[in-house]
Amino acid sequence: MDLSIDDKVQALRAEMQDFFARKLPPEFARKTLAGEKLTKEEHTQWHHILAEKGWHVPLWPKEHGGPGWGPMERFLWEEESGLAGAPRLNHVSQDLLGPVLIAFGTPEQKAELLPRIFSSEDWWCQGFSEPQAGSDLANLQMRAIRDGDDYIVTGTKLWTSYAHVSNKIFCLVRTSTDGPKQAGISFLLVDMEQPGVTVSPIYTLGGMLSVNEVQITDVRVPVTNLVGREGGAWDITKFLLGNERLMGAWIGVNMALARQLRYRLEQPGPDGQPRSADAVLARRVAEAETDLLALRYTTYRVLADEMSGKAPGPEVSVIKCRGGEIMQTLTELLMEVAGSEGMAYPASLPHDGAAIVPFELEHAAQNFFDKRKVTIYGGAAEIQRNIIARRLLNV
Amino acid sequence: MDFNYDDNQRMLFDMVDRFLADKHDLAKREKLLKDPAAEAALWSEMAELGLMGAAFPEEVGGFGSSPADAYVVMERFGRHLVTQPYLYTAIIGGRLLIEGLSGDAREAAVAGVIGGESQLALAAGSTTMLRGAEFTSFDAVKDGADWKLSGRMPVVLNGDRATELLVAARTAGSLPDREGVTLFRVPANAAGVSRRSFRTIDMFGAAEVVLDGVAVSADSVVGAVDGAVPLVELALDHGVAAVCGEALGSMEYLIEATAEYTRTRVQYGAPLAKFQVLQHRMADMYIQTQTAKSIALVAAMSLEGDADERMRQTSAAKVQVGRSAKFVGYQAVQLHGGMGVSEELDIGHHYIRLNVINQLFGDGSHHLQRFDALARKAAA
Repeated sequence: MDLSIDDKVQALRAEMQDFFARKLPPEFARKTLAGEKLTKEEHTQWHHILAEKGWHVPLWPKEHGGPGWGPMERFLWEEESGLAGAPRLNHVSQDLLGPVLIAFGTPEQKAELLPRIFSSEDWWCQGFSEPQAGSDLANLQMRAIRDGDDYIVTGTKLWTSYAHVSNKIFCLVRTSTDGPKQAGISFLLVDMEQPGVTVSPIYTLGGMLSVNEVQITDVRVPVTNLVGREGGAWDITKFLLGNERLMGAWIGVNMALARQLRYRLEQPGPDGQPRSADAVLARRVAEAETDLLALRYTTYRVLADEMSGKAPGPEVSVIKCRGGEIMQTLTELLMEVAGSEGMAYPASLPHDGAAIVPFELEHAAQNFFDKRKVTIYGGAAEIQRNIIARRLLNV
Repeated sequence: MDFNYDDNQRMLFDMVDRFLADKHDLAKREKLLKDPAAEAALWSEMAELGLMGAAFPEEVGGFGSSPADAYVVMERFGRHLVTQPYLYTAIIGGRLLIEGLSGDAREAAVAGVIGGESQLALAAGSTTMLRGAEFTSFDAVKDGADWKLSGRMPVVLNGDRATELLVAARTAGSLPDREGVTLFRVPANAAGVSRRSFRTIDMFGAAEVVLDGVAVSADSVVGAVDGAVPLVELALDHGVAAVCGEALGSMEYLIEATAEYTRTRVQYGAPLAKFQVLQHRMADMYIQTQTAKSIALVAAMSLEGDADERMRQTSAAKVQVGRSAKFVGYQAVQLHGGMGVSEELDIGHHYIRLNVINQLFGDGSHHLQRFDALARKAAA
């Protein structure tokens, strides 16, 4: 047993901290930490700042222009960027699709598409969930019917994050209805800028816009846009999800939330005393912090096992369950500590003259309600528990 | 013992339900929120129906048989996700008028509320969600026979639509002394009052209120000079019982809606309602709702009589209802999956309001501590 982290890795952590301190625009951090969304232009600006350092494609190997980081370095990146309040990049393109293309793409796909992700020219969104395929992803119905050198694609994708700012979508499509459900699914790249593709926004609690419905009707997609083999999407999907399996812990983001909470606890409340004088509140905050600490070390433990070559087990589901729950608790506490000033509907606040509520509290309630999704998407909390139970009980 | 509504309450219940059934679903609410004239018209209709009067006893011109009648109205409002300021105008504002005024002044003020012409907002409690007048951020100084009020409060609930503000201002002592706060009636259009309107996350109206040397006469004092804290405490306990009713209406709706959804939503080849883990979750929602309902009804029946008993029961109710509401709302959203977090469905809106209710008039932490203090006092 040993808690120390290798000197080289420690040095990288210091380098990341130094980079964020010098290069991250304070306005971007302020918005991200307060739960406000950045514009596409701001994201692009951040992308180019990272590109100068070669950190804009953190999961990519060196030969494709990435830093070639191992699991520990990648995890530190998540931790430090979350803690610094760095905006998440165009994550779907860089962290999800990029590694898939590198591992499964044809030479032509790599040559054409990777540079466009690298330069932030393409914004991809992920077309997985459908009206009848939520937790039960294999039940998806979007059809792709082969017609000469094309597929003709028809169907609806739901809860598609950032579709409203994307120009391309990668979809799980049904190319066959024979055999097991999973075996008839293919991974297809679709250009969104063409007739037959319609994006409708879905506003979520608190007036947030990040998810959409994407309807695709009789759209011809060249067969060369297939990633991997026809019917081979299930393995690609597992690979893709595996790439973000420790992400569900949200360690850096949760640590940033906990730090804000500590700060707020020391601000005077309506009675003039610091909020930490409220013993019940102080106790709840300390409990959330100990929960987070335990989760952080669970994540490190899984990481250490992974680096020593042990196959990942259901601990990943443990991490996802707890990461989401802790994030909900922290944002809930931040909303509650803010009192009436944290209860505004952000879009309704007038911005003439002095701010009615402090900037960092403006999104407190919206942020809490928005975080309800983290125990629903990417395999709901119930599904994660099914995975754990199946491994545990061997049934 | 009888926990059922009496005949009058039953009639009130049915009347509110019928009225709201064709006036207030989510789509209509969305329209109302964008149309102040329509909101005002709905308010007038509610007054014509006699809903305001239900919050006032006969001796002041109303027709309520007990304060528990307001609970009945609020329970229906909770079910239908009503965002009208009945709570702030008729229940809390109304109670302050009933207890703090007398004679002709009271008769006229109450008549204004019952008729639907006046709307009230309590400006007290600084940045709390309306807890305790002792935390006020307004000051009042004597100016001859008049008072001059100054200060700013960022979030005054119903401050946007109020025709009259009930302002708790410090007149003696200092924060957070319970002595030395006085309640004043301030016309919302008085010189020196400025307001900026917005909505809270539950879509209720609110405003920032700034008072800049607003002059009011001595007869605008509500209750005793320096004596607003216990008066506001009483009115807010009426508010607690009312939002407990509202939460119950909302929770009972969420259980029905979630049961219905899980019976029809098929995943993995079966309706969600067939999965035992979800059955147990809904059973837990029911358990939470039933225990909350009992103590909420007790709170509504304890508003008249001994002050310590009233505070003990309302605090217990607020703690239990807040806890239950958060659980039931959370699970209703979780079991609806993505649909639960969409603004298109009413489920998420109920969840939001339930969380705001948990914060209103003192959250669980505040009421646990008040309950504890009263228990210690009783044991001593």
